[in-house]
Amino acid sequence: MAKRIMIIDDSATLREVVKATLLKAGYEVLEAVDGKDALKKIAGQKINLIVCDVNMPNMDGITFLKEIKQQTAHKFVPIIMLTTESQETKKQEGKAAGAKAWVVKPFKPETMLAAVEKLILP
Amino acid sequence: MLVNMDKDKTTHRLTVDGEMTIVNAIEIKKTFADALEGCLELEVDLSKVSEFDTAGFQLLLMLKLAAQKQNKGFRVIAHSPSTTQVLNIYNMKGEF
Amino acid sequence: MELESVRNTFLIEANELLVEMEKALLELEGSDDKAELINVMFRGAHTIKGSAGLIGLDRVVHFTHKVESVLERLRQNELKISEGLIGVMLNCKDHIAELVQLSCASEEELPAAIITAGDLLHDALAPYLAITPPPAPKSANATTGAPALDCGIGPYNADASVGSSSWHISLRFGRDVLRDGMDPLSFINYLKRYGEIEYLTTLYACLPDIEDMNPESCYLGFEITFRSDFTKQEIEDVFEFLRESCVIRIIPPHSAAPTYMSLIDELTEDSWRLGEILVKSGAITQRELDEALRKQQGEPEREKPCIGDILVKEGVVHREVVEAAVDKQAKLRKPASEEGKTIRVDAVKLDHLINLVGELVISSGGIRQHANMVKDSALSKSSMLMSRLVNDIREIAMKMRMVPIAATFNRFQRLVHDSSREMGKNIELVIEGGETELDRTMIEKLTDPLTHIVRNSVDHGIEPPQERLAAGKPAKGTITLDAYHDSGSIIIAISDDGRGLNAEKIWQKAIKVGMVDPDKRPPDKDLYKLIFEPGFSTAEAVTNLSGRGVGMDVVRRNIEVMRGFVQIDTVQGQSTTMLIHLPLTLSIIDGFMVGIRGAFYIIPLDMVVKCFILTEERRMMIESRGYFDFRGKVIPYIDLAGVFNTNGGARHSDNIVVVQYAGQSVAFAVDRLFGDVQVVIKTLGKVYKEVEGIAGATILGDGTVAMILDVPGIIKTVKNSTINV
Repeated sequence: MAKRIMIIDDSATLREVVKATLLKAGYEVLEAVDGKDALKKIAGQKINLIVCDVNMPNMDGITFLKEIKQQTAHKFVPIIMLTTESQETKKQEGKAAGAKAWVVKPFKPETMLAAVEKLILP
Repeated sequence: MLVNMDKDKTTHRLTVDGEMTIVNAIEIKKTFADALEGCLELEVDLSKVSEFDTAGFQLLLMLKLAAQKQNKGFRVIAHSPSTTQVLNIYNMKGEF
Repeated sequence: MELESVRNTFLIEANELLVEMEKALLELEGSDDKAELINVMFRGAHTIKGSAGLIGLDRVVHFTHKVESVLERLRQNELKISEGLIGVMLNCKDHIAELVQLSCASEEELPAAIITAGDLLHDALAPYLAITPPPAPKSANATTGAPALDCGIGPYNADASVGSSSWHISLRFGRDVLRDGMDPLSFINYLKRYGEIEYLTTLYACLPDIEDMNPESCYLGFEITFRSDFTKQEIEDVFEFLRESCVIRIIPPHSAAPTYMSLIDELTEDSWRLGEILVKSGAITQRELDEALRKQQGEPEREKPCIGDILVKEGVVHREVVEAAVDKQAKLRKPASEEGKTIRVDAVKLDHLINLVGELVISSGGIRQHANMVKDSALSKSSMLMSRLVNDIREIAMKMRMVPIAATFNRFQRLVHDSSREMGKNIELVIEGGETELDRTMIEKLTDPLTHIVRNSVDHGIEPPQERLAAGKPAKGTITLDAYHDSGSIIIAISDDGRGLNAEKIWQKAIKVGMVDPDKRPPDKDLYKLIFEPGFSTAEAVTNLSGRGVGMDVVRRNIEVMRGFVQIDTVQGQSTTMLIHLPLTLSIIDGFMVGIRGAFYIIPLDMVVKCFILTEERRMMIESRGYFDFRGKVIPYIDLAGVFNTNGGARHSDNIVVVQYAGQSVAFAVDRLFGDVQVVIKTLGKVYKEVEGIAGATILGDGTVAMILDVPGIIKTVKNSTINV
């Protein structure tokens, strides 16, 4: 059974690239444009990993993290944060909120894949 | 997830059906603790385990150690692909 | 770099002072002249504190300040010497030495243990201080950031990987990793991409009994034998996300040791510390180094282990590799100290060399003259070559000891900047004459006195901005450092446009301290000199900078050691100028040689303005008028033959040399003009020190002695006599 990954980012390009990479590696991919969208889409779904941007409209990454940590079904899902070099404080906030893995933007697709593979079994 | 328990006079047979991960770890621990009560021997069937992670592995380990401590028999009678995979990675296949 | 060399200088200076302090401390008990010994210690501490402040070694300043305060009480007889105090003081001295050493060696914050030791010593000093300070806050025990795990990784067994060509990876997972969505399984699985897991042992000794076990916590650990061609850093990066929550130890294969050792050997950068060398070679990772450093800090001061030992004990690196790195470090350091620009040569040796070179110049001149006389062309030629070489040697020898004072002056920018800020003042430091060259030995000895004088200017000279504005001065004060040659001597002028010295205040203080007879008040000019007496200070409060009254007696001492003197020029409410006069003990000047009644005299060339032939007619006219008409200006006329009492016979001077000094022109009548010569100045002995009009002497190529004219002196005498007339 393929593992299911949710990618949350407001950039369609980024989602596209990540999605292509993950699909190629054999994962199933769900997309969301922001935190709110993501919460709606994962409801009742089994998710194995979430890739989540920090800065997004509607609901930003940190708020989303805090939300998801309240949900019994999803609170233990590994989360990869997408940050930029200048967002060190955001990164720390994210870690405090429970996202212990991160990938710094801009990244190469293989970097993202490596991070995913460190966190979930194939 | 479902844990079926067949009770014999001396043997309890546990069958875990479905997920055995951190998500339901607390629940499983409770069932396991109950299953240990009032038997001399414990048989575990893992063949229906769909997902198995480190939390699941720890539970299995915990159960075996508790049984040994109480001088009860402990045996895993069947594996699923996911439990086999984990036990292989942890080099613990021989223990179960 | 600049700062580097300043630090080296400070290091040497501080060590010398500390040795003196220790000697004084040890002599103290049986000594009759305790006061002088205490003075020595006090000056030592004061100078170290001052210099350390100058280059920003705040820790040294902080610690030494209190030591100095205790010594000050001893000096003021508020405190008696006791065995206990001597003991504490010896420890303090050792601690200062350590602080100085460490602060100079590295920019980093000092290890916590050192600071704690300093605090403890401060506590020990507290009883000797008048006011007991609040108990020093005990520095918090450095807690290690590693998660507290019941079953940690035990001490490294050195044999474990001996002869092995595999890596050994130890992992202890933090309790919360599963809750954070991180499963050891996937990391271990991912590790397979970097090599082959030869053997893995799952450790579960930490797993609690069924009643206490929290099924969401992780209790596992792993020991992994791993075969890989990747680097340590690459392997460590697999566990990047676990860095904060897990204990990770990666032991390289024993077979990798030679690889690291040869990598270490190939490193070229110097000034690396042991840890950096190991990281650079890939033998350890930055994380491992940071962890070991933290561990090192946590250890008690006395048995603080070396970083190399910790790393070996932790098992992250093999001992041979550490040893190779230590060797490398020693090799890297050696050339650094050898090619360093600061070779300290005994000044006496340099003096001796320069003296000998001077003699060589003279004798080679003699040979040349003789060769010309005997008209042997081959001899002439080779003697000329020799002269040229000797001249080159002389130049180099002189240069060896002459350095521009600019570097010394520039050091004060920082001091003035920092301390004026501390005092809430606005002060600009203006530097002039930085290109003036001074004997290196002098420059070294000048630093202290200059520091004290500049500090006094900042501290007491320049007024706070409001006071300046009220006095109609610009809010910004100015301190000027200047250096110039003044025939035969070098003058260092330190002036400020501050409030000037207050003669009345000095007088009152002098009476209070018991330095003077209250009934006999000397003229103000002499009063100012009192500030150079030991223990004299007019400062109301003891500040961090100066005001303890040591400053000025140190200044005087240091200057007197160089056979110089300090002159104070002050206008109350307007300015203070300290003029440090230093002799050009041994130097070379370009001179203009003249002959007067068969004797030779040298006039410093830069003072010579013009030469004239003195016709009989002109001479008559001048002598009748008593002055010389030079470019439409009336300037004094002096027949040097008269000054030197050689005016015997009817011989009259035939030439005139117009010289200028400090804006004043004078016409000297002389017999003959010989033109310019380079001469080595020799000071006259004490007996001739008082001879007027002569600043020094030199020996010419043929062995004849020529006198160097003290032009300023002559001008002064003439001025006075004219006034008298």
